[in-house]
Amino acid sequence: MIEEFRLPDLGEGLTESEIVAWHVAVGDTVALNQVIGEVETAKAVVELPSPFAGTVTAITHEPGTTVEVGEVIIAFEVEGPAGASGPDAEAPQKRVPTLVGYGADPESSSRPARRARAFAGAPATTTTTTTVAASAPARLPAVLPAVPPETPPAPSARVQAERPRSTPPVRKLARDMGINLELLAGSGERGLITRGDVVAFAEDQPHGAGTPVAVPASSAGPAQTAGDAAREVRTPIKGVRKFTAAAMVQSAFTAPHVTEFLTVDVTAGMEFLARLRGSRAFADVKLTPLTLAAKAVCIGIARQPSLNSRWDEAAQEIVTMNYVNLGIAAATPRGLIVPNIKDAQALGMHGLAEAIGGLSSTARSGKTPPQDLAGGTFSITNIGVFGIDAGTPILNPGEAGILALGAVRNTPWEYQGGIALRQVMTLSLSFDHRLVDGEQGSRFLADVGAVMADPAMALALS
Amino acid sequence: MSKLTLTQAINAGLRKAMEDDPKVVLLGEDIGTLGGVFRVTDGLMKDFGSHRVIDTPLAESAIIGTAVGLAYRGYRPVCEIQFDGFIYPGFDQIVSQVAKLHVRTHGKVTMPLTIRVPFGGGIGSPEHHSESPEAYFVHTSGLRVISASNPQDAYTMLRQAIECDDPVLFFEPKRRYHSKGEVDLDADLSCAPAMGAARVVSAGTDATLVTYGPLVPTALDAAKAAADDGVSLEVIDLRSLSPIDYAPIVESVRRTGRLVVTHEASETLGLGAEIVAAVTERCFNYLEAAPVRVTGFDIPYPPSKLEKHHLPDLDRILDGVDRVLGRPNSLSGLEG
Repeated sequence: MIEEFRLPDLGEGLTESEIVAWHVAVGDTVALNQVIGEVETAKAVVELPSPFAGTVTAITHEPGTTVEVGEVIIAFEVEGPAGASGPDAEAPQKRVPTLVGYGADPESSSRPARRARAFAGAPATTTTTTTVAASAPARLPAVLPAVPPETPPAPSARVQAERPRSTPPVRKLARDMGINLELLAGSGERGLITRGDVVAFAEDQPHGAGTPVAVPASSAGPAQTAGDAAREVRTPIKGVRKFTAAAMVQSAFTAPHVTEFLTVDVTAGMEFLARLRGSRAFADVKLTPLTLAAKAVCIGIARQPSLNSRWDEAAQEIVTMNYVNLGIAAATPRGLIVPNIKDAQALGMHGLAEAIGGLSSTARSGKTPPQDLAGGTFSITNIGVFGIDAGTPILNPGEAGILALGAVRNTPWEYQGGIALRQVMTLSLSFDHRLVDGEQGSRFLADVGAVMADPAMALALS
Repeated sequence: MSKLTLTQAINAGLRKAMEDDPKVVLLGEDIGTLGGVFRVTDGLMKDFGSHRVIDTPLAESAIIGTAVGLAYRGYRPVCEIQFDGFIYPGFDQIVSQVAKLHVRTHGKVTMPLTIRVPFGGGIGSPEHHSESPEAYFVHTSGLRVISASNPQDAYTMLRQAIECDDPVLFFEPKRRYHSKGEVDLDADLSCAPAMGAARVVSAGTDATLVTYGPLVPTALDAAKAAADDGVSLEVIDLRSLSPIDYAPIVESVRRTGRLVVTHEASETLGLGAEIVAAVTERCFNYLEAAPVRVTGFDIPYPPSKLEKHHLPDLDRILDGVDRVLGRPNSLSGLEG
């Protein structure tokens, strides 16, 4: 079919142009955008690119003639249906060039989005929570009705109230103290919230009433500093602290806990560790009672699998795992976290020591990846490092048991029919009584104690 | 309602004003025979004659000066300045005569001029063709300065400007000339929002983003991208740059506590500086963060291949939003 090419309106003052030269003749094959000729406008000689790929069938104006904008100047035989490759085809929008520029960007139909930024993952310097006072009276929108806004207003935006009036330094003080200004009544001019209002509000808080003690900033997040006048420090509940609290509440009120204690003479176990420390094979790892306990737990679980099971309320099933993802509770500057050693049952003493060392150093540096925190099946918490003997640990949600290791102490103990100073520790085991009966829990704790007391028992038990 | 480009909407506005009032005459370079370099006045000379659509010499001072004389005699001249950067030869006439004659004659003479100025960059043009000189005229008392961001506003506000007895500079966002929108050509002007009224074009709760003219669509895009990021932006189209309608801005900032102003014109003594100062005075006790300006840089307009780095875009605007929200941003760690 035949496509005609009309002298284009090149913009800015152009009504006619002189054909300067043709670079093609009738019968020539032309590629898309090939320069086919030159036209002279009032300002410049402009090359004409071909809008079509095809064969030239006619050239209607000779060089030297002046042509009105819109007149046909050349025609092509092209393949395919009419308009398929023509400039008027309903193709994606293109720039519309003018003689003074290459034209505006075409409008994009895709959803606008930001480019990637190097600092996008960094922590925010201030909280950006915007409180929406749902009870505030609806405010008249300052929206003119003539043109509907492109983005429909969010319903919540309509009930958003003015924020409380204060001054920037007082806002910073309140932010640092974790005080929501919306809860305060201002005593200043026209209800302005003053520094005194914020300080007085902080002192009037009911928490710790009667015994005003300065609560030290907890380990959750950077310490929130307050003025010297503050007798309490209020720390927003967030991050690890918030997560830990929710997990503990969930665990304590869904899993019925039972805790049992066993005090054992671990002198032989400690001697065994000392011997391993002296061997070249273990020179590169740190061996502690925790390492031995980790191995003992794996052996115990093999004999009492119910300690390594999970209550699936939704499916009404008990899931017993044939692997042990052994959680090791770690105190970090950000709070308590429990990363776990995947497939701990497959590891020997060396592997366990290596894994525990890796987990705790990663945890202390705050770089524990989320996958290390998920999927635990049994946990150990080493309260002995704080000099504590026994406790009633709360289960990590979704796990059936948790073992607390007490401090290893030199204690007068019955030994070979007499009293001797022995290395003794207490093991505290909490278990979920939905999954584990007293019998299994007790046998498990006895097995762990037996291995701790005499590592050779590992041979007999596994 | 008709779907028109911004250019066609302005053309329709001029046509309507000329039909309604025989005293409306157009003056400008290439506006008659050619129909304007952007085809804004296309067909008007044919329909209204060369005595009402006047092709002038390339002399902006003479265009404005002639219009002043016409206004003295009761006409309503509409001048086209071909490009923003060509207005400077007419600057003396605008600030010394147009802005002052009403006061100088104790109100006996009005200056119902409309001066249409295609402005702003983004069309790949060099200096003189991409500038944003609006602040010069906002700074001068006695002038009204407005800018439309969409075809409906362009149609309505141009008619209001021509009908207004005060001199009005009408800044047209030339990179949006080809944007299409629904335009109600038959709407009664008395029902339209006031020419000087700002408009909330996207409601939000976390920060207020103020802009005008060519950056309004960019700001709306930014609001959409921010929404995907969990940030709710309130976008306000100023529409009138002089006088500025502060009521909706103040109302918004008292809710959000955060303000970002963006324009193509350079930062120093630009509209953003004025708006930030005025809003800080009115909303000091509500501000959660120092207001931020996102503007063209304080440089002569760059070569066209570099203009995309000069003009505020979605990313630079949202970086400004990050600054007022205290989120990580390009200046993190650099602010004192």
